[in-house]
Order: sequence, then structure tokens, then C-alpha cells
Amino acid sequence: MSQKRSYRPLDSTRDLKRTITRYYTLTRFHRYWGRPLGRPLAWVTSGAPVELLRAFKIHPVYPEQYGAICSTGKVTAELCQAAEALGYSQDLCTYATSSIGSLTRTDIAPMKGLPRPDLLVACNNICGTVLKWYEALARHFRVPLLVLDTPYLPGEITPQAREYVVEQFKDMTSSLEKITGRRFNEGELRRVMGLSDEVTTLWREIREYCRAKPSPLNGTDLFIHMAPIVVLRGTQQGVDYYRKLKREVGQRVREGKAALENEKIRLVWDNIAIWPKLFGFFKMFTERGACFVTDTYTGGWAMEIRDGDPLESLAATYTEVFLNRSPDFRARQLIQFIRDYSADGFVMHSNRSCKPYSLVQEVIRRKVMRETGVPGLVVEADMADPRAYAEEPIRNRVQAYLEALGA
Amino acid sequence: MGKYFLGVDIGSLTTKVVLLNEAGEIAARATGRSGYGGRDVARRLTAGLLDEKGLAGSDVAVTVATGYGRITYPADREMSEITCQARGIAHLFPGARTVIDIGGQDSKVIRLLPGGKVADFAMNDKCAAGTGRFLEVMAGALEVPLEEIGDLSLQAGNQCDISSFCTVFAESEVISHVSAGAPKADILAGVCNSVAARVASMSSRTGLEPEIVFTGGVARNSGVAASLAKQLGCGLKIPEDPVITAALGAALFARGLA
Amino acid sequence: MTDIINPTGNEQLELLLEESSLRGARRAERYPGKKFFGYFCSYWPEEAVLAAGLEPLRLLPGPGNATPAELPAYCCSLARGVLSAATGGSLRDLAGVGFAHTCDTMQCLGGIWEELQGRDKTVTLVPPVMLKGQAAFSYYKKEMTGCLNRLGEISGKSPGVDDLRKAVNLCGQARLLAAEVDRLRPQLPSQLVSSILRAGQIMPKEDYIETLKAALPALNQMAKDPGDRQGLLVSGAVLENDSLFRMIEELGGRVVADDTCTGYRHYAGPVEMDPEAPLDTIVRRYTEMPPCPCRHRELEERAGYLGGLARERKARGAVVVIRKYCDPHAWDAVPLAAGLSSLGIRTLVLELEGADAGGPERTRLQAFIESLG
Repeated sequence: MSQKRSYRPLDSTRDLKRTITRYYTLTRFHRYWGRPLGRPLAWVTSGAPVELLRAFKIHPVYPEQYGAICSTGKVTAELCQAAEALGYSQDLCTYATSSIGSLTRTDIAPMKGLPRPDLLVACNNICGTVLKWYEALARHFRVPLLVLDTPYLPGEITPQAREYVVEQFKDMTSSLEKITGRRFNEGELRRVMGLSDEVTTLWREIREYCRAKPSPLNGTDLFIHMAPIVVLRGTQQGVDYYRKLKREVGQRVREGKAALENEKIRLVWDNIAIWPKLFGFFKMFTERGACFVTDTYTGGWAMEIRDGDPLESLAATYTEVFLNRSPDFRARQLIQFIRDYSADGFVMHSNRSCKPYSLVQEVIRRKVMRETGVPGLVVEADMADPRAYAEEPIRNRVQAYLEALGA
Repeated sequence: MGKYFLGVDIGSLTTKVVLLNEAGEIAARATGRSGYGGRDVARRLTAGLLDEKGLAGSDVAVTVATGYGRITYPADREMSEITCQARGIAHLFPGARTVIDIGGQDSKVIRLLPGGKVADFAMNDKCAAGTGRFLEVMAGALEVPLEEIGDLSLQAGNQCDISSFCTVFAESEVISHVSAGAPKADILAGVCNSVAARVASMSSRTGLEPEIVFTGGVARNSGVAASLAKQLGCGLKIPEDPVITAALGAALFARGLA
Repeated sequence: MTDIINPTGNEQLELLLEESSLRGARRAERYPGKKFFGYFCSYWPEEAVLAAGLEPLRLLPGPGNATPAELPAYCCSLARGVLSAATGGSLRDLAGVGFAHTCDTMQCLGGIWEELQGRDKTVTLVPPVMLKGQAAFSYYKKEMTGCLNRLGEISGKSPGVDDLRKAVNLCGQARLLAAEVDRLRPQLPSQLVSSILRAGQIMPKEDYIETLKAALPALNQMAKDPGDRQGLLVSGAVLENDSLFRMIEELGGRVVADDTCTGYRHYAGPVEMDPEAPLDTIVRRYTEMPPCPCRHRELEERAGYLGGLARERKARGAVVVIRKYCDPHAWDAVPLAAGLSSLGIRTLVLELEGADAGGPERTRLQAFIESLG
């Protein structure tokens, strides 16, 4: 084990901090500017059609990202206990339960909790849990709850699913007109979608740089630098930030600079990060020269926003999210990643909190191994709750896996 | 016709019997490890008590059984240990409104109405965390006698953090602390604290109203008692013999049935 | 064999109880001419299966804790148990298996099923989650049509309007009979009723209707005043056996109102048919049946419905059952307990690994029933 730092920090991290701090400062002080400017604050799920909300000048806030913030801030377990005390099972999604805990435990919650929402917007393209979670929030805050129901796609999107989602978009548009008192402006929506497309395209290009050998970024970089893609889609700040990041990563590739000092093994990550142990966990890999060159999670935000009628385009984009699709689709995606990024293996985080992501991993793992001949490791943990993390058993597995890969 | 009343509490780890006289006073009591056949242990303990008092089986008018083994024990009536615990505690502490009972496999928080009727209760999930069994496993991992872990934990300098909710995971955490060289007292403080935290969280489901009585085998553990009092932010009353209170409640019910 | 006492010795009743405890295990030998099609949720349209000339068979896990390699331990035992039966080969005779998209686990199980059992034998129907509104109805209707077509491909018999009408009629009859049994519920042993209702999800539809019709007089004869039993409402997901209902009965309770997925919720909802538009009838029925926690109509829809049901049946308390790792019901339990309590109905939330209620559950239930008295 080397004492030396085996990991190269990005200069853009400074800009990242500035960008995210600005977003959360605006969020925290929304009560001073939101009402005067007629800009309501919405709590939204990560897969909610934020472009439409932004077109109505709504300020979106992401409780899922807040869940990750709580986790890296080491308060998830206590927040979850507060929710468990209210009767919520400890087997439920810990983003959701820590968020519910943060409503009462403002004493320990980061930023004393997220500011009170004027409305809630949930889209079930990522899971069924968000509906139950947002129902609980709607009961607590007594504010309108708008739900976009994107039917699960066993195969390709069907005409009826597309039509159903488009109809809901129209309904949502008129609800938003009522809530915000603003008229729907298609031009504004197109402008926001243009910015969103620019952000996601930049993110896709940055990620594709990691096809280079050695890779300019490691999994932890992707996890950390994904923050703006979650909260700043459809904004100029998002575009500005990812332009900078793209320049730096492109520069690294041109100079042959690697994220890891000594990249020996290239891996693909599947599932949300293990936030409570982010660095500790990935260090087990970096210290043996194993780099996570890409992943399915942060890749979920590299979606393409199609041309054409804006509502139809949004309907397709948000219904075709990878978590709303079959294991077959997900396996093909992972196989493509392994091939495009010349990976030697893949690691699946079996995430107790996220059933739609995790329950299908074993059939995916087998299929991917069969088709690529590349080995896959499964580690069970939780994206936010340190109570589900078993240090020694995980260390053993990781070590054995890397030894088998020749690290 | 007999003049004595018997309460039998066959728990997962310990079997307790309490014999009341006609006036409702405790005439005799006994406890033993349940082992494989709690029913036989209960019979043996009862026979011993009667022997000691020079009584015959026919002197017992009514028997009420409670605890895990209650269903197969030949009693006049079987009742849940929650109802019996409430009754026993209300008898000993008429002002009690909340009972925290941590036993071998269960932990419970019971909110009482005046008179000892159950207003609400919460129990642990089907998992050993927050129970006596958890303490037993950790005591085993640290090679400390179960009875000593409470006092030892109070000597902790820097309490270790045991965060896992799974007993098996927690045991591996304990082992990690051991291999990192943490003193036993510090680890044990973490263990006691984890049990208390679990139960404290459960208590907010029922609400806490003073007086609060802490009972069950784990109430003898000074470390858990101290941590619980600290986390709940209030004092706890502990019965002189915290193990027999449910058996006492059963005996009181037996007397009521006569 | 069944362990429910049938004091009347009524043969039809005996058959229902036996079928219910067999959970379809001897279907091939008992109903040699029938081709069965498996399904999981009450949202799966039995009418569509019947219209395609197949018999719907509800898939229920067997006893024991199955741990198929394809699913992690933190997945519910319903999914684990049935997947394990399928990989063991005991469902090979089925024409196929249908998944009505409900929870995340069923979504995943459907995908796993396609991978392991073949795409050609797996049919997925994705009902709308948000049941209100015209867009949902017309989407649902198209999904249902697609589902019918797939079932027709599987059975080789493309269902026509007459087939649909006949199927709707058949299901309507079964639902009306189930409603009669449900009305008798306060006067009958809890486990007897749950067993009879489960049989209707296992036996060929016509056989069930005929048998239950013939058993009704015996049930009416058995019905008697429950005395001082504590009336309870039970809500929850799938219960593959009567363990919990039997325990409630043993402890002096009586299930007077039932909202379990394998219980009366499976049958509840409108039965009127529009003979001109049987497909609309089907879609409307699944839209309007009492919703499970996977669906959304109004925020307090379930608490309101269950509160009304508890009051109508004079339930003293409610038991909300959560199958371990069942997210929708675990979420639902919190507002449900609060909603029912606010109506003065004491509520016990009971977590079960599967359907079996054991020692720890007995303690909780007993204390709960004791505290109601």
C-alpha cells in the first residue's frame, strides 16, 4: 500500500463548489426572493421533467440529492431513526426516510432542512417509492402534489404510453398555470430544453473522454461532479460549469494524464454510490490501481433530449429513463459500456434502498458475464445508511475480486 | 380449594414463577434458565416453591401463564406478556405510565392507563438488535461475562460507535474495533448505547409519559440503563427484581380470576 | 389436507378448503382439460385470461423460506418463493405468466421472469398508477387490448367480444358469490372465509362458482352470532395461507372486514356489465376497485375507504399486515394507522416474513386484542 496520494484532484472542483454553493444559497434564502419574484419552490424527484417547471420559473429542489448530502454529512442514521420512530420501516428507501426524518430533526439536518415547498412534483420513472414518499410529503406540507405517471417499459415505448404521458404533460401544464399564475410559454420551454440538451450533451462528452487509456476520471469524480447535472439542468450555470469541466478533462486526455497514478484495472460501476463510505470504499480500489472509468448511475443523466414537439419530446425522454426499462435493456447498456470503455470488470452495488435498481442485478450480471467474459462483483450496502455497511465482509470481497483480476 | 395464585412467565432465555398468597403478597418466587424445555423448567421451579413453603399442588387455586412458552403450559389461562407486564408494573409502581421492557429476544415499550391497562405498545422488529440477545452476542465476542458488561461500559473513556442495525454486522463492527485496539470498556459502551438507542427510538412510537419504569433482564445492565436515561432525558425507575414483573402480573391476574 | 373444521360435512365446502390449501398443486390431475395461466396481483385481469380460453391461477409461494440466487435477501418472500418454484420447474405446465405492474418488486420479477422463463411466456400489463382522468382510462384500455392480444397469441384463440362478455359475466358471478361470503364473515370463523376466498383464485372459474353456490347453504347454516369476539379489520397484501386469520380467531378475535390482496379486495368493486362494451367494463372495474397502495386516486383514499369499511362492519380494531420488504404496504401503514386511529379505530401494524404468524406475532396480536377488551 503506497502512502503517496494515488489520486489526482480536478481543478474544476473549486468551480463545482462555487456553483453548488450558489444553488443552495439561493435555495436556502428562497423565502426572501421567491415570493416577490413570483417564483415558487418545488421539491422534485430526480427524474421529474424539470424543463417544464423551469419554463414556469419554478425553483426546483432535489430531496434525493439532499439525501446524499445528509449521508456524506453523517446524519442519515439519526434522521432515519427519527422516521422509524414515526412508524416508517427501516427497510424503506433511506433517501426517503432520511428526508422524512429531516422534517422534524432540523437540529441535525444539513441547512436545518430544505426550505418548505410550494408544490411537490414526482415522476415514477425511477421507482414506485417516490410516489409514496411524495404522498407523505404532501400530507406533511399540505401543498399540491403533481405526479407524472410514466409507464414501465418492458420493451420499446408504446404509442399508448407516449400518448398517456403527453396528455399528463398537458394536464400538468394547466395545473402549473394555475399554481404559478403564469401562462405557458412554449418558446420559453424550448429555450430551457435547449439549455438542458446542452448540459446533458456536455456531460455525455465528458464521460466519453474516459474511454481514453488511462482514464482522466475515476468513479468518485463522476459522482461528485454529477451534482450540477441533477440540480442545474436547463440553466446557463449548468452549461457554464460543464464547459469548464470538459475543457479540463479534455486537456487531461490530450496530455495523457490519468485520474489514478497507476491505472491497472478498468471497471464499470452499477448503482448509486455508497455515499456514507464514498472515499473509504473507493480507496480499496484506487490503492490497487483499479479505476472506475464509467458507471450506469451518473450515465442516467446523459440523456438525449429529442427534437420535435416539446411535450412529446419530454414524454419520450422521461419515460425512456433506464431505470424504467427491462433487465435486458439494462444488460445491453452495461455490455456496451464494457466494450466502449475497454473495461476489465464491473462492480454492482446491491443497494438495499433501491429495489428497481438492485433486484434485477443478478440476472444482468450473469448475462453481461456470459456475453463479455468479464467478471462482475456484487457488494451489498446502502446508498445513504451506514448501518447497512459491513466493513470487513466488503473488504474481503473487494480484495479477492481485485486479486482475481490480477491487481 | 387452594389459597395461592401462581404466575408463570416462560421467556426465551429465563423462566420465572411467582406465587401470591391470599392477600396478594409475594409468598415465593424463583427463576431458572429456560433452555430447551421451558415448560419443564417452570414445573420444576413451581414444585420447588411449593416444597419450600410446604404446600401441595392443590393449594394453587389459579395459574396464569405468559411468555413465549405460555401456549403449551397447562395453565388456567394464558395471557400475553405485554398485558401481564403492564399489570405487574402498575402493582409495583402505581404512578407508572410507561414501561420499557428489554428481555432476551424482545424489547417493548408499553404505555399504561391508570390502573395498569395497556393504552398502546410497540415492540422490536424481528431482529435481535435492541434486545438482551444482542448484548449476549457482543459479550461473547468480547469474552466478558454478560453480568459485567454494564459496569465495565461505565468506565469507558471514548465510546466506540456501533452503527449497524444487524446483529451479525454489528458483531463484525465490534471485531473491527477489537482489532483496531479499542479498550473493551469503550466498545461495550458503544454496544450498550446501541441497544438503548434502538429502544429509545421505539419509545417515540408510543410516546413517553412519566413515570417510566425500566424492567426485564437488561434493566440490570447499568450501562444500558444509564444510556437509556440519558437518551430519553429523564429518570427511570427499576424494580428491585426486574426479571419477575411479568410473572407477578400473571399471578395478579390469576388472583383476579379466582 | 385442510385443518379447518367443517362441522356440516358439506362436500363442496370440503373441496373449496382443500383446493385452497393445495394452492393449485394438483391442478393437472384434477382438471386435466384445463390450461392454466399464472398471475400475481389482483390487478391482473382474470377476464382477459378467461376470454383467451385459459384459466387464471394465482401464484402463491409455498411454505419455507426460499432464497433463489436471482434475488437478494432484502426482497419479499412472495417474489422469492414463486421464483424459486418456477426455477424448480413446478410451473412448467402453465401457458404463461402475467405481471400487472404494481410495485418495484413485481416490475423486477417480471423482468427476471422474461430472462429465465422466456419472453414468449411472459405477459406484462402496465396499468396507470394515477387512476383518475380520461387519459388514464384510454391508456388503460389500449394496454388491456394489447394484453388480450398477447394472451390470444399464447392460447392460439384470439378473444372476440362474445368471449369477453362471457368472461366478464363469469368473473361477475364469482365476485357476487364472494360478496355473499364476505357479508356472512362476522358470523363465520375468520380462517374459513379467507380460505374460501383464496380458493376462487386457484380453481377453474366455473368449477369455483358451481362449488361455492352449492356450499352457500352450508355456510348459512354454520353462520352464528360471534358472541363477545373482538371484531377486527385486516388490511395487507398477499396471504398464501390462513395462519394469521386462524390466530386471530384463537385469540378471541374475528376478522369482520378484509382488505387483503388475496382476500376480499380481490373481489371488491363494481360488477355491472355494459354488454355493448365489455372491454370498457373490465377497465372500469380495475380502475374503480378498492385501490392497493401501489395506486393513487386521492391522498386519503385508502384510509377513507378502510375507515368506512371498519365502521360499517363495527370493527373494534385494525391489523395492518406488512410483508417484510413490501415497500408499498410499509409506506401505507403509517398514514393508515394514523387515519384509522383518528376515527377511533385502534391499529396494530404487524410485520410478517411471509404469511405464517408465529410466536412473536402471537404476543403482539394477543396483547392488542387484550387491550381492546
